[in-house]
Amino acid sequence: MTGLQGGAVIAALALGLVLSFRASNVINIAHAAVGMYSAYAFYGLRNYDVDSTERGGDLWLPILGAPSKVHILDRPTVAAALSIALLLAAFFGALLYVAVFRPLRNAPPLARVIASLGIFLYLTSTMSLRAKEIGSGAASLKLTSMLPSGVIKIGSAKIPTSAFVLSGFAVVAALLLALAFSYTRFGLATTATAEQEKGAILTGISPHRIGIFNWVLASLLGAGAVILIVGVSGVLVPTETSLLVVPALAAALLGGLDSFAVTTAAGLAIGMTQGSLVWFQLQSKSLPDWLPNNGLSQAVPVIAILVAITWRGSKLPNRAAMIESRLPESPTPRNPVAWSLVMATAAIVALLQLDAQWRLAIVVSTIAGFVGLASVVVTGYVGQISLAQYAFAGVAAFATVKLTKQGLSFPVAPFLAIAITIAIGLLLGLPAVRVRGMTLAVATIAAAVAIEQLVFNSPSLAGLGAIPRPEIFGIDLGFSATGDENFRAAFGIFAVILFVLATLAVANLRRSPTGLRWLAVRGNERAAAAAGIDVTQTKLSAFAVCAALAGTGGALLAYQSPALSAQQFMVVGALAVLALCFLGGIASISGALVAGLLASGGILTQLQGGNTGNASNYQFAISGLMLIAVAILYPDGVVAAVRHSVAKLRRMSTA
Amino acid sequence: MNPLLHIHQLGVSYGGLRAVDDVSIDVHTDRVMGLIGPNGAGKTTTIDAICGFVPKATGIIELAGRRLESLPPHSRARAGLVRTFQSVELFDDLTIRENLIVAASAPRWYSTMLDAIHPNRRVTAESVSDAIEMTKINDLIDLRPKQLSHGQRRIVGVARALAGKPKLVLLDEPAAGLDPDETDKLGELIASLPKRGIGVLLVDHDMTLVLDVCDDITVLDFGRVIATGTPQEIRGNQAVIAAYLGSAHE
Repeated sequence: MTGLQGGAVIAALALGLVLSFRASNVINIAHAAVGMYSAYAFYGLRNYDVDSTERGGDLWLPILGAPSKVHILDRPTVAAALSIALLLAAFFGALLYVAVFRPLRNAPPLARVIASLGIFLYLTSTMSLRAKEIGSGAASLKLTSMLPSGVIKIGSAKIPTSAFVLSGFAVVAALLLALAFSYTRFGLATTATAEQEKGAILTGISPHRIGIFNWVLASLLGAGAVILIVGVSGVLVPTETSLLVVPALAAALLGGLDSFAVTTAAGLAIGMTQGSLVWFQLQSKSLPDWLPNNGLSQAVPVIAILVAITWRGSKLPNRAAMIESRLPESPTPRNPVAWSLVMATAAIVALLQLDAQWRLAIVVSTIAGFVGLASVVVTGYVGQISLAQYAFAGVAAFATVKLTKQGLSFPVAPFLAIAITIAIGLLLGLPAVRVRGMTLAVATIAAAVAIEQLVFNSPSLAGLGAIPRPEIFGIDLGFSATGDENFRAAFGIFAVILFVLATLAVANLRRSPTGLRWLAVRGNERAAAAAGIDVTQTKLSAFAVCAALAGTGGALLAYQSPALSAQQFMVVGALAVLALCFLGGIASISGALVAGLLASGGILTQLQGGNTGNASNYQFAISGLMLIAVAILYPDGVVAAVRHSVAKLRRMSTA
Repeated sequence: MNPLLHIHQLGVSYGGLRAVDDVSIDVHTDRVMGLIGPNGAGKTTTIDAICGFVPKATGIIELAGRRLESLPPHSRARAGLVRTFQSVELFDDLTIRENLIVAASAPRWYSTMLDAIHPNRRVTAESVSDAIEMTKINDLIDLRPKQLSHGQRRIVGVARALAGKPKLVLLDEPAAGLDPDETDKLGELIASLPKRGIGVLLVDHDMTLVLDVCDDITVLDFGRVIATGTPQEIRGNQAVIAAYLGSAHE
């Protein structure tokens, strides 16, 4: 795949993001995921060898509980398969708008981010299940390109014809959109609706129809782009393909989520930069060998964009742009000490009484709980939608292992690792100082992907293996042992105690002046500044605490895992944790507890009968669905809804 | 005597439009200064600029001899220049007492760490209890902003400003939407501030309040100062009358 091809796809996807944003003020993080599904639909239908008697024509379905695939017709032609795949994409676009984003158009940004994360999680997890059924290697789908395969020579450079076709596709799409939006009634109506829905209705425009039309168009563009590029690159992996949205988001943000021309240019430029960086990395012998393959090319454009949008943002929202950022209410923690004692006792008794699989589940839940606490602080208390929590955990985990290998011992190595994580947290907090809402969510996803690409995939961190067992005052806190003794309770108790202390610290912070400042900034940055609160410092303090909490979880993971891998810290994990926190109440500690309990491989998994290979996919898929539902039904989170009904019942019973 | 707040040649431009043009105002410790003008005269923009909410403002802003124009908004507030908002803007997630506490507490770099171990919420700054007492909001302190009436919220907005230990408060239309009774009480409160050593710059549409409470008045129109003087002088000023009648005809 050359840079130009990649750039064309990024541009086409970015155009879809701009369209759906202009129509309904949503940055649709699941945009490429819809394209990914369409690609599965198309290549599933076309999955037969022309010279054999294979039938092909199977349509893979992303519906939990329904059959994985249905047979539609024998040996469909490209045109037939493409029509079906695009029709499905169009249907998905319309469905997402009508069922999810239209109801959420006035909801707080967090609810909109959560809903699009839900869709992302649902589609990637169900399709990961399908991908396992399809199988890999020879069994996998035949991904053949529909584009001409020749090369065109310009001077000494050979450029694949497909690159010209793809970039032509993106440029023509951008041109048509730009023209349509400036000159047709539909385009003007979209702009009018986005600016003033009531006014538009009064002039006889149906915002509903306009919205559907834009979403269908966006979906078709995305599906077309992903189907074409998958054929060229020969790579179709649910999560990876869906994350094509990250560079596309970058391009769309550079275009201000508004300009089709700038967005397309930015998309092409990002792709070509990535292409040249790959080439550069292949050619250059002076680059350090810790740099992962493709690391530079994936990370550099994303980092450049982070810097650009951060630069363009402003420290305080202006008077006209005051957006209501209503977030779930944050109740003052009551009796945190009593609660912690109950929680700790239950966990410790369970650790001492139950078998090895249970002990593992409790530890997994505890570590996820740390990441949950980190999300509660930064997103719930301070309103900064961050998806970099697993990146923080990963930094701490890898740093712990690396420092231990350098000769530092427990507890010096993890302490130092957490300190490093806090520094990274402060660095990633910088965008939050200047951008807010959905843009910040996108910036943190980009940052997490950059860290993943540049650091976690680094060859110098691969195959580090296990580290010596932690030990304190002569007590062996190691996790592994032989036979039934494996997953030792001592480590579990240590983790639980740390978690309880962390919970208490967060409860204290929430009630202290620091917590009050956090909530003040979350509610109203301008008023906070006027009241003498340093908004920058307040946000950064939250990112530091967030990094410290996630980092503690990560350091524990370093001692728990026999070997660390980049997969443990993918941004998808952070999406899932944020989602689960939202279910449990993102602005209260209960959110973190729910995130821990429901974490994949954690206590709930164990209750359901333990970890099977597909458990995490099912769990992600179901939490994805729950998220969409919860974001629409209870933008304040489930716990708040429960609390309200309890209060109502009380009032009724006393009345 | 040197003025408490010295504004010299303040300017704000939006594109080609001079929203605030060469505005100079001096406010003295023992006097209430009123800032009035027809709609769109640039009153709120002036306050925004004085408090640091307009990034590209020009001119000199000096509080008690200290130059503030290069400081960010929160540092100006900490230096003693505290404002209220036309739209009140209380922190909805906090109780009234907590609204005052955040305005009063100045964190140190280690505060977050200390707060994690010892939340010490009993520590209530003296300025908080003073502000509660001055504004007579004792009954409200454990409620949340959404539980208050509009008038009560306005008073709490003033109380929050006072909790920040201001040398000077800038009140942006504090009487908007208040009933006559509430306006009277607010007027008394404003008039009492100079005696406590707090200067006042008051923006309001309620002419009775402004003429009653203020010792001096500055009148803006189209971003420029068109008159300065005592209420008596302003009442009879032809330029002021023309500005108000002119705007009424628009």
